[in-house]
Amino acid sequence: MNDLLVMAQIAGRRCAFKALDVKSVIEVGVITPVPRTAGFIAGITAMRSQALTVIDCRRAIGFDPASWALDERAIVVAVAGHSYALMVDSIEDITSGVSEPDGVPGGFGPEWSRVATGMIETRTGPALLLDLAALIGGPETLGEAA
Amino acid sequence: MDDLLADFVAETREMLEASEGEIIAWEADPADRARLDTIFRFVHTVKGNCGFFDFPRLAGLSHAAEDALADCRAGRRVPDAALVTAVLAIIDRIALMVDAIEADEAFPEGGDEELIAALEEGADAGPVLEPLPVPQPGSDVAPAKKAEAVVAQRSIRLPVDLLDRVMSGVSDMVLARNDLAHRLRQAGTQPTIDGPFERLTTILADVRDAITRMRMQRIETLFGALPRLVRDLSAELGKQVMVDLEGGDVELDREMIEMIRDPITHIIRNAIDHGIESPSNRLAKGKREIGILSIAARQSGNTISIVISDDGAGLDEEKIAAKAVSTGLITAAERAKMDREKILNLVFEPGFSTAEQVSNVSGRGVGLDVVRDNLERVGGSIKVTSTTGVGSLFTLQIPLTLSIIAGLTVEVGEQRFAIPQSYVEEIIHSSAKALDHTRVGETALVTFRGNRVPCLTLSEVLDLPAGDIAEGNHTMVLLRLASGDLFALAVDSIHSHGDLVVKPLAPAVMKSGVYAGSTLLDDGQPVLLLDVTNIASQHNLVSDARTRVLQTGEEEKAKTAKAHARAMLFTDFDGRRSAVRLELVKRIETAPASVIDLSAAEPRAVIDGVILPLIGLPDDQVPSEKVRVLRLTDGACELLLAVREIDDATELDDKLKPVPDDPLVEAVTLVGGKTVTLIDGHELFARHGEAPEVAAKPVCRLPDSEWARTILGPLVTSVGYDVAHGQDAEIEEDIAILFDDDYEAAAAIDITFDKPVIRLRDLPDEAGASETIYRYDRDALVDALRKARSAGGKR
Repeated sequence: MNDLLVMAQIAGRRCAFKALDVKSVIEVGVITPVPRTAGFIAGITAMRSQALTVIDCRRAIGFDPASWALDERAIVVAVAGHSYALMVDSIEDITSGVSEPDGVPGGFGPEWSRVATGMIETRTGPALLLDLAALIGGPETLGEAA
Repeated sequence: MDDLLADFVAETREMLEASEGEIIAWEADPADRARLDTIFRFVHTVKGNCGFFDFPRLAGLSHAAEDALADCRAGRRVPDAALVTAVLAIIDRIALMVDAIEADEAFPEGGDEELIAALEEGADAGPVLEPLPVPQPGSDVAPAKKAEAVVAQRSIRLPVDLLDRVMSGVSDMVLARNDLAHRLRQAGTQPTIDGPFERLTTILADVRDAITRMRMQRIETLFGALPRLVRDLSAELGKQVMVDLEGGDVELDREMIEMIRDPITHIIRNAIDHGIESPSNRLAKGKREIGILSIAARQSGNTISIVISDDGAGLDEEKIAAKAVSTGLITAAERAKMDREKILNLVFEPGFSTAEQVSNVSGRGVGLDVVRDNLERVGGSIKVTSTTGVGSLFTLQIPLTLSIIAGLTVEVGEQRFAIPQSYVEEIIHSSAKALDHTRVGETALVTFRGNRVPCLTLSEVLDLPAGDIAEGNHTMVLLRLASGDLFALAVDSIHSHGDLVVKPLAPAVMKSGVYAGSTLLDDGQPVLLLDVTNIASQHNLVSDARTRVLQTGEEEKAKTAKAHARAMLFTDFDGRRSAVRLELVKRIETAPASVIDLSAAEPRAVIDGVILPLIGLPDDQVPSEKVRVLRLTDGACELLLAVREIDDATELDDKLKPVPDDPLVEAVTLVGGKTVTLIDGHELFARHGEAPEVAAKPVCRLPDSEWARTILGPLVTSVGYDVAHGQDAEIEEDIAILFDDDYEAAAAIDITFDKPVIRLRDLPDEAGASETIYRYDRDALVDALRKARSAGGKR
């Protein structure tokens, strides 16, 4: 409650990241593709002396990125000691949540349910709070689980 | 746990590590006051520190030990083995308690009283109660080195996180500098800016260096624990071992020190358990009863080598081979072809352990294969050499740090990838012709040094679109895996090579199995580091241990096959440039004219007391005071080939053109653009070869006098005789040298000589000079000896 949230549009939906997880927002420079890896890994890019793994969130959730716009900026997060740059449709704003994340009857649809912690009410309306580890695991984990 | 407590734990532990070596030194010489003081200081500090906290048991133990040691310091008590053992036991207990405090666990109750009681004078601590013999100065049981107490460096404690932050900050600065340099170049030369910029560059390089060293630690921290380990192990196994440490000031990445701790411990255990013999056994073999285990660290460039050697029994080649055959590691036929070194290194193969009975010291379920795997994982290597009865020597090579490696950057299409330099055997910028690029089925093969080597194309490995470079026109990077397997990787071009700072990759990327990490180039562009071993195994290019052994054997064969075409170049006395196959040449000798004998039908010379046929002399004359000769051998026979000048050993890489009309010439070929006549070894030995006449050395009996021994003797020997003096009855002479006086005296009483006699006279001119030789007429003497030899024939 009252956590700061970074709001973004992913595949046309409003999503929220906990601001504590977000290290920074960067302009994505040159992305070096990484052959032979899953499609949602766009490549690696350099943030100062650090190499970031660039994740296309739309593909990581299971959507086709071609249908949506792409923000030039990316959200940098750290999961389990590794840093990732998350590519999203657009980065909106920082706001604060006004409720605990909660499920909704009927769920959010299979793709979204996998990556969502739950729905969270914010000052600017409801959004999906995303589970970073699940997001970064990519759609393959869904296939394996099934 | 609060900071104060953390500091206490850290300080105690540090002191424990530092005093470890001191304790062992003190045990070897309990009368050593300096050591006693150090240990006293340790328990005293622990006791003092305990006052701040509520650790009654720690305080009790350290107090008891302090009391006992204070008695020794005051001279009220003589330190003996029992006291040392008791104090050691207390220090061990303190270490355990500190561990428990750090882990915030309760330490098991009880046991302290026994330890404290053992400190009492005359306590029944163990069978040894007599004071240890105090070594006399200069006696050889004194500790090898009375190292001065280690002077503690002034230091502060820092969290590794902070270090990492500073490191990445410096890396950022380097990148910013590179960017700036790039822009400055674009803007053209600006003296006012270039000067300070140069200075910045130098400073940055310095800082970067210093930062790298911040992660370094002296290997001493690892060595410090070894004397105690050796002491405990040797006591347990009933052996006497002295440890000799060298190179403790070599610095190593902290993490690397942790990586090598277990391998080194393992090798030391092995050395004491299997290598060094029991004292009685050692005495029986004529060795000192104390075995020596020496551990030395050295830095050379980017690698550290650690050599662990013992003077024990050494590795038993036969036992190892038999074991390897019985476990199916190699077959008997393979074993027959393997040399000693290769057999010894079988101990590193998986599933190998020489210990007949698993003892509780060496047999811990991990073998040397694990040691090797661990070292190879961090880019190191290990090998062993050993001489039976003399000892074994393990050599560990490890890179200086985990995170910086030398790497090669290659390009495929638009993208760059890095390859660790340690895998790269050779780079060949080539056309298809040079490497004989072929395809067998779907597999591409190249020919490298006479071997067919599988070839992977990097763009195919990475599923990248094939470039516009024709197949076979790629640059080939030949990679040798730690297992010894070789394969070629075709890339578009080589970009650069240099030190790479390797950063780990996210798990999702690692899952692909082709990358080992990422690194940033100087321009800030991220580059992926290829996981060469994994790529090879994905393409089934890694053989198991068995073929590894065989393959190296084949490679060596290939090497010797290549060596066949080597020859010794020389110029003969006719001025012809000639060559003889290098295998025939046993040695190059310089023969003084005096050893050359031209009197017989064929010239001969004496080399090393062996008479050998000599060929190649111009018109059978000795051309100069000294003649260069090639000593040729076909294995059984030897002969000498006189030459005017020796040129060099060379490879016969050009075509050999046979010369049919001259049987002594095998072929004519080109070396360095000039023709060279290759001598036919077969014809040479067929015509001139003969077994060396080593048995045919004739004996010359000399008069029994000092002059004959010291002046005449060497001369006679140099002509090729063995010398018998005076009346050595058991040696039968072939010729005798006598002073004329003696000869006449003998003749007067009708003694006849059944062997030729050379008679010496004392004066240059005398009557009857034709039958005698003046004793300093060297030429005449040598001539007479030679004639006698050729006339006397060969026995």
